[in-house]
Amino acid sequence: MARFVGYIAKRVASYIVMIFVATSLTYFLASAFMSPRSNYESRTPRPPQESIEASLDATNLNDKTPILQRYQRWLGGIVTRWDWGQTPTGVSVNEEMSSRIGASVELMSLATIISIVVGVSLGVYTAQRQYQWQDRFLGGMASLFMVIPTVVLAILIVFAAIEINQAAGSRLFYVTGLSSYEGGNPLMTFLDFLQHILLPTVVLTIISSVGYHLGQRTYLLDEMHADYVRTARAKGLTKKQAIRKHALRASLIPTAVSVAFSIAGIFTGAVMTEKIFAIHGLGEYFINCINNNNIHGAVAVAAFSGACTLVGALLADLFAAALDPRIKMS
Amino acid sequence: MSDEIRQDAPQAEGDARQAGDGEGRQLTNAELELLADKMGGSGGEVKRIGYLSLIGRRFVRQRSAMVGLVILVLLVLMAIFGPHVTPFTYTDPDFTSLNVPPNATHWFGTDGGGFDLFACVVHGLGRSLVIGVIYSVLTTVIAAVVGTSIAYVRGVPEKIGMWFLDMLLIIPSFLLVAMVVRAASGTQGWVTLIVGLTAFGWIGYARTLRTMALSLRERDYVRAAKYMGVSPFKTIVRHLIPNLGSILILDTVLGVIGGINSETAYSFLGLGIKAPDTSLGYLLSQGSSAMLSAPWIVLIPSAVLIVLCVSMQLIGDGLRDAIDPYSRAAGSVEDEAEQEEAPEPAGN
Repeated sequence: MARFVGYIAKRVASYIVMIFVATSLTYFLASAFMSPRSNYESRTPRPPQESIEASLDATNLNDKTPILQRYQRWLGGIVTRWDWGQTPTGVSVNEEMSSRIGASVELMSLATIISIVVGVSLGVYTAQRQYQWQDRFLGGMASLFMVIPTVVLAILIVFAAIEINQAAGSRLFYVTGLSSYEGGNPLMTFLDFLQHILLPTVVLTIISSVGYHLGQRTYLLDEMHADYVRTARAKGLTKKQAIRKHALRASLIPTAVSVAFSIAGIFTGAVMTEKIFAIHGLGEYFINCINNNNIHGAVAVAAFSGACTLVGALLADLFAAALDPRIKMS
Repeated sequence: MSDEIRQDAPQAEGDARQAGDGEGRQLTNAELELLADKMGGSGGEVKRIGYLSLIGRRFVRQRSAMVGLVILVLLVLMAIFGPHVTPFTYTDPDFTSLNVPPNATHWFGTDGGGFDLFACVVHGLGRSLVIGVIYSVLTTVIAAVVGTSIAYVRGVPEKIGMWFLDMLLIIPSFLLVAMVVRAASGTQGWVTLIVGLTAFGWIGYARTLRTMALSLRERDYVRAAKYMGVSPFKTIVRHLIPNLGSILILDTVLGVIGGINSETAYSFLGLGIKAPDTSLGYLLSQGSSAMLSAPWIVLIPSAVLIVLCVSMQLIGDGLRDAIDPYSRAAGSVEDEAEQEEAPEPAGN
C-alpha cells in the first residue's frame, strides 16, 4: 500500500510540474500573439498615449514591459493571492471565470461520464459480436460520427430539434442557454435544466463516445484471443464468463489511460457546443478572450483545461492501478 | 529444357487467367505461381508485382474504397472547375436575388447578402481540401521525424522528449492554435491557419509514432547502421521512417479529415478564415443564424463536408486494409480469407 501511495504521489508531483510548465508556455504564447494595446489604439477618439500606457501597466499587459517581468508579476499574483490577473478593461479574471465555470463543469462532467459508459458498453457489445450485423451497423455509425465535423453535427442536431419542436407544437428541446424557468418549483427547475442540457450533452457524448467504442472493441478483441482467456475457457468457463472475468478487466486498462487524453477533446467540443447552444461557459469565454485580446483570461481557461486533463489522468492512473496488479506490485 | 519451360509457363498463366475469368475473379499471384509449378515451370515467367502495385491491387479490390475515391475525385474536380462553370463568384453579390432558395440560376441558392452559394461552396471546398492536405502532410512529416528521433535516442533524452510531448498535450491544442490563428485575416488568412494548425497538430501523432518506432529501433539493420558509423539523422531518415511508411501514408490520408474538421471549427468560431475569403466553416457560421428562414445555407455546406469527410474515411479504411492485413484486430486466418472475397460493408 505504501508503494502504491508513493506511486500516486510521484504522479501527482509530475503532473503539477507539467501543468506549471504548460501554463507558463501558454502565457508566453498568448503574450506573443495577442496585443491588448490594439484594444486601446483602435478606440475612437484614440486615448492619449500616457493613458494607454497607464491602463496597460495597471493590468500588467503592457508589451513595453519586458515579458519576464510581466510573467513574474502574473505568477506572483497567482501563487500568493490566487489572482489570475485582469482583463484589458480591468475586470478580475477570477470573477469572470467563477460565474462561468459551473456551466462548463456541469456540461463536461455529464458528457464525460455518459460517453465513457455508452462508449465502453458499445465496445464490449460489438466486440462479442464481431462481424455480425450489430457490429457492422454500430461500427459504421461510429466511423460516420468520427469524421463528421463537430460543428456540422451540432448544427444538424439543432436543426432536427427545431423541426421536432415545430412538429410537436411545443418546446420540447431548448437550443440556447442552460435555464429559462423562473418559478420556484424544484421539479420544474430540474425538468427545465434537462430540456436545456440534453442536446449539448448528446453532441458531446456522440463525439467522445465514438473513440471509447472503437478503442474498447479493439482492446477487448485483442484480449479475447490471448492465451489466458483460452486457459479460462479450457478450465470450463463459458465464453461470456471468460470475457467478463478475465478479458474485460485487462482490456479496460488501455481505455482508462485514453480517458485522460480524450478530456482535451471534450473541452474542445465544449468550446464548439457552448458557442452553438449559447451556453455561457468557459468555452464561450475563451472565444471572447481571444477576440478581446484578453491574455490573462485565455491563459486561465487553458490552465483550467489542463487541470481537467490531469484530473482525468490521475483518475485513469488510480483506475489502472486498481485493475492492473503489476502497478501495485512494482 | 529451359525452352520448354518458357513455352509452358505463359500457357499455364493463360490457363490460369481463363480459369480465373470463369470464376469471375483474377487469380492471386500465389495461385499463379502454384499453377506454374504444377506445369513444371520454375515460376520464372509468373508476373511479379512490387509492393506498391500490390497495395494498389488490394485497394482497388475493395468496393467501398473505390466509391470513396470516385467521390473524392468528383469533389476535387468540382473544386477545380466549379468556379468556371458558374457565372457568379464568391466575392460579387447578386443584389437582385437575396436569400433565394436553390433554383436554376443560383444552383445552391443565395445567402442574405446575395452571394451565390454554389460559388462560395466550391471555393470553400477548395480551401478545405488545400488546408486539409497541406496540414496533413506537414504534420505527418514533423511527427515522423520527432517521434522516431525520440525513440532512437533512448535513455534520458528519450524521457525528456516524452515528458515534453506529454506536457504539450495536456492543454488542448485547440486553444493554443486559436491564440495563434486569431490574427489571420483577409485573403492570406488560410496560410496562417495552416501554420497554426501544423504548429500544434503533430504532437499526438509524434507520440503514437514513437511507440511504433520502439520495436523498429531494436531491429538488426538499425544496429548494423549504428555500428557502421551511420549518423543518427541518416539512420532515422533512411531506416526508421521508411519502415513506418505504410502507417505514415495512412495517417496522412486520415489526417486530411482532421485538417478539414479543424478548419471548419476555427472558421465557424470566427477565428480562421474570414471575409472576404470564404470557406465551408465560414458559410456554416453565416448560415447558422438564419437556420429557420434559409436552411439551405447551412444544409448544403454541411452535406458537402460530410460527403468529403466520409469519402476520405472510406479511402483511409481501404488503404488500411490494403496495407496491413492484420489491421482487423480479430485477424484470424479464416476471417481474412473471407474478407478478401466478401464485399466490404459500407462505412466500415
